[in-house]
Amino acid sequence: MADKPVYEEASIDGQPSKLASIPASDTTVWADASPLLQAACAGLRDGELIHGDNFNLFAAMSALEIMDPKMDSGIVCTYYSIDEAIENGAAPIPISLDSTIDVCRTIDIMDHLLACEAAWHKGHSLAQTVFSCIYLLRLDRTAPHALLHSYCRIIRATCKAVVSVVSDARTHEEEDLFTLTYGLPLNGDGDDKCLSILNAVEETISRQLRACKATSSKRRLPEDLEPLQSNPNLEEGFCKALLCRLRFRKHFFHVLSCMKRPQGRGLESARKHIASCLTELESILKSADFLRSCFDESCEGDIDDKTTASGFEPIGFDAMLNSRLSAPTPPRAIKILSWKKAVEYFVKLLHDLDVICSYSLDPHLESLLRFVVQFQKSQPDLVARSHLQLLLVQDGKLYGRDPFFAVINKAAALPEATKNHDIQKNESFLQLGMLVMNLLKILCTNAAWQRRKLGKFLQDWRVIYVQLELAFRNEYGEVSSSSNDENTCMKIFQHILLWVEEQTFWIAFRFLILGFELELYSTGEYCMVYWYLYAVLIKLAEKTHLMMAVSHDTAKRKGKKKKDSPKDLARESRIPPAVLFLQCYICLAEGLTMMLAALRNEIPVFHGPSPFNTEHEKFVQHFELLQRACIPDHVSYLSYKESTTHARFSTLAMYNYFKDAQRIAKEVKSSFSNDPERLAELRKLEQVAEHNSVAQNVICRLGALDPSLKVSFEFSHHPFFATVVVKRS
Amino acid sequence: MEVKPEEKAEIEEPEIEYVSYGGEHHLPLIMNLVDQELSEPYSIFTYRYFVYLWPQLSFLAFHKGKCVGTVVCKMGEHRNTFRGYIAMLVVIKPYRGRGIATELVTRSIRMMMESGCEEVTLEAEVTNKGALALYGRLGFIRAKRLFHYYLNGVDAFRLKLLFPPPRQVL
Repeated sequence: MADKPVYEEASIDGQPSKLASIPASDTTVWADASPLLQAACAGLRDGELIHGDNFNLFAAMSALEIMDPKMDSGIVCTYYSIDEAIENGAAPIPISLDSTIDVCRTIDIMDHLLACEAAWHKGHSLAQTVFSCIYLLRLDRTAPHALLHSYCRIIRATCKAVVSVVSDARTHEEEDLFTLTYGLPLNGDGDDKCLSILNAVEETISRQLRACKATSSKRRLPEDLEPLQSNPNLEEGFCKALLCRLRFRKHFFHVLSCMKRPQGRGLESARKHIASCLTELESILKSADFLRSCFDESCEGDIDDKTTASGFEPIGFDAMLNSRLSAPTPPRAIKILSWKKAVEYFVKLLHDLDVICSYSLDPHLESLLRFVVQFQKSQPDLVARSHLQLLLVQDGKLYGRDPFFAVINKAAALPEATKNHDIQKNESFLQLGMLVMNLLKILCTNAAWQRRKLGKFLQDWRVIYVQLELAFRNEYGEVSSSSNDENTCMKIFQHILLWVEEQTFWIAFRFLILGFELELYSTGEYCMVYWYLYAVLIKLAEKTHLMMAVSHDTAKRKGKKKKDSPKDLARESRIPPAVLFLQCYICLAEGLTMMLAALRNEIPVFHGPSPFNTEHEKFVQHFELLQRACIPDHVSYLSYKESTTHARFSTLAMYNYFKDAQRIAKEVKSSFSNDPERLAELRKLEQVAEHNSVAQNVICRLGALDPSLKVSFEFSHHPFFATVVVKRS
Repeated sequence: MEVKPEEKAEIEEPEIEYVSYGGEHHLPLIMNLVDQELSEPYSIFTYRYFVYLWPQLSFLAFHKGKCVGTVVCKMGEHRNTFRGYIAMLVVIKPYRGRGIATELVTRSIRMMMESGCEEVTLEAEVTNKGALALYGRLGFIRAKRLFHYYLNGVDAFRLKLLFPPPRQVL
């Protein structure tokens, strides 16, 4: 078989074409198919289609027009293969015979790889980003170039580690592109030694930096070190630029290794490496000024768009080489992030990872859920979220440490002793453990995906409640037993049933409010959404209150006091702060529902009818999953209409729910003095309540009389309680 | 007075003629409009799939003999519901803002309703305020948000219109 490309001679006009092609072999031969295709073109009339067993109109949609650059992923852009690209000098080693230019271009490659890596994390394929680097695709040939070789090795090892984390998290979110690695050389022999290879190179450059600093201070050199490159004025700058880049890669790799350690054992070390990464990134940013001023020529175009610090185009990259490997996506040119944006991305990623590493691994599920919800507010990307998920759920246990039954036991305010009870082997309790595990995984996914999963999840929680209730009634329905163990079992059931209800309403609450974050509700639908939210919050508050009462009982039984002091009795009769917090929500939800209902009833143009359906259909669609799971019971479009149909400005004037919300928020602030997040939210709730109270007064006084009044809703203070804005148009 | 290409075309409302897809002669008009405005690579087979199987659901808008807008749809069984799907909707720039798109979509949806569809669905970019307002006025809700649905990283909404249950004829 020929091992050199064969150049085709024949073409239409007799000129030899210089296209490199796949060589013919002993068993294959090239034949010109043009006459056949010409004839075929005339074989079908417009509108006719070949029918086959597996080829109908639907299948025909997947047809590709050959040579259409939008569709044909096999289309050759510059080089047919990696080997051809290399043979044509697309990835030279060394990059330049001039050592100064060689170093400069190496740094460009490092920068562009960082930009590619960020683009990959953000949702593009590995093949079109990091592995568009020809040096990476044939890593072994970089061996003579220590700097490039060590850098490529650690990049490869890092990508492999990140793919592994995201694959293990197995969320199967929309961005499946991330873990597609077929055909890419991700596994390298000896990559486990990549750190020691990198360290050796770092050490050499450190010595060179010391040497050039010694030279500038005119001290005598102990060793005879070869400089990095030929221009002594630039030596220090280049050494520094390289060192921070190498050190960043080293520390980032350490972060990934530390975070991988089971049961969060490596989190503290990871934090140290994260801090080092951030320091090195700052140095990397600072090196840009030096790199841009190295040569007299300045680069064209806007420096902020460039993928390198120097502003020059990097050598050795071709995204089209892998286009056949990056299927199923069509060969769309993707935009690699700018170098500046790439650094920003990594800074954010490191901050998100730092938040995860700072987490105390609290065994209380309620605190954990609040932590995850809070973490998600900064909109962490896939890599950060995958790390969180793997920290929380390992080997079927919380943090790889706490069995889920024990976690549930604690959450349901059961005594510590019951966490080892045999009842956990019961099928229903095993399933409940799985549900909690899945809940944690779902809460780590992106908001859009999360809401869909939570909606479907409601049914599972409803079913488990019914199952547990059935099991409870079967065991203890009629008989009141005096056996200790049976009493314990009964108590476990009772607590857990109550806890399951509370969790279910919490999931429903989260499902509803995520709709605001995702902008799924239009203004005309706010009334029904706040009404449903109100209904869910009432039940959530009820169950939370019951749960706390039950928890207080458990604590009392454990406590040393035999008699209740008057102070204890007083504390018992007060509503717990967590419940008051929910009551604040309830007042705001009710206030908004009634105001929106009054506006709709009094001002016809506020919500016009649609030609094809009514509010009833929208209600059914928005709340289908909640209704199906009967969350809450006895709630329907009819009850919604009954609650809101009589709302008028005059009825609105009779009661100001926003004033109630304001009062509760003020009162309960002192109970959360140690909780900065809840304090911050209470302040926001106060602001919403205050603004809406004023708006309500204005609307009630002027609404019916002044047609120029315009009412709009903004989420400027709180993410899911709208601030009502009244203006004159 | 010089009319710049960006300015709206001067038209009287009755001058827009709405026509149901009538055959192969309409296909190049539809393809040209869609190719012009949308970035998805559709081969001719994609268009044929829609207009051959559901010609009654595709409409074209003409102004003085020129095709200025089109809607291309399908319908079928999907997980136990009979559902319509709006695949493409285009109105050329100088003719936007005049309700032509609304009229095209309305005709198609009406046909779907009469054919027994229970609901209609489509995807739209979250940044496409015009489309979201248009479909919102027709009764669509934003049923789901699809993260990074488009290759440029933009999210999409899945829009759904649920028809009321058919009235009982006594």
